Amino acid sequence: MSGTTLYVALVAFGVLAGVLSGLLGVGGGTLMVPFLTLVAGLSQHAAEATSLLVILPTAIAGTLTLRRHGVGNAGVALRFGVVGAVGAVGGALLALALPASALRIAFAVFVCVVGLKMVRDAVLSWRQPA
Amino acid sequence: MRALATSTGAERSRFAFLHIDRELVAIGLLGGVLSGLLGVGGGIVMVPLLVLWAHYGQREAHAASLGAIIPISIAGIVTYGIAGEVKVGPAIALTIGSVCGARVGAGMLARLDERILKSVFGLFLVGVAVLMAVRG
Repeated sequence: MSGTTLYVALVAFGVLAGVLSGLLGVGGGTLMVPFLTLVAGLSQHAAEATSLLVILPTAIAGTLTLRRHGVGNAGVALRFGVVGAVGAVGGALLALALPASALRIAFAVFVCVVGLKMVRDAVLSWRQPA
Repeated sequence: MRALATSTGAERSRFAFLHIDRELVAIGLLGGVLSGLLGVGGGIVMVPLLVLWAHYGQREAHAASLGAIIPISIAGIVTYGIAGEVKVGPAIALTIGSVCGARVGAGMLARLDERILKSVFGLFLVGVAVLMAVRG
């Protein structure tokens, strides 16, 4: 893909990633990085850097919208995130010293189990009166 | 803690930075370490921890995670060294779409049934797991 088509696809994919970000409370990098490497032809490093920059305004826009709707506590969330940022820098340093690919597989299994548990919980709660 | 509870507003504001539940501090640290270690976004780690450990409602967990991503992504931008690596054109195009999308998505988060949120998030996690397994 190149030129105008690519940019139309990028905006469209941005909308999809943004909706999921606002709805699920995630950054969307998990989706954007593969898209940028596979479709837009960016290198892994360029894709990660670019998605990181896109996530910030996306999270701000979503958080402002939630604030308007009175959902959550933005102040608590921001402080929670500052703690998270400290941990993330520590984790990135730790990744240099540990076999990260083996950990990723273990984590993928864990994430899958948690995901299935959430779906199960939701289905079970549907059977009971809300 | 008692000193904190009885302090004046002005004094308290100096501690406001840490004025969150100890559980949130633990989840923030653990979630941050896992996300930095594994190269996945904070939300994928934070939301399950908030729901399963801190017993947050699904909606509140998504909202807390989304807000937390703001400082986490700032730290990422500062430490990752994105200078010279960002592709400006694609970044602008994606941002135009994603900012519009985020407003729609957050509006949906405010309205949708908790059980739908839980199902969609669960399916998203399974999808992420598959993606991680495929990419190795």
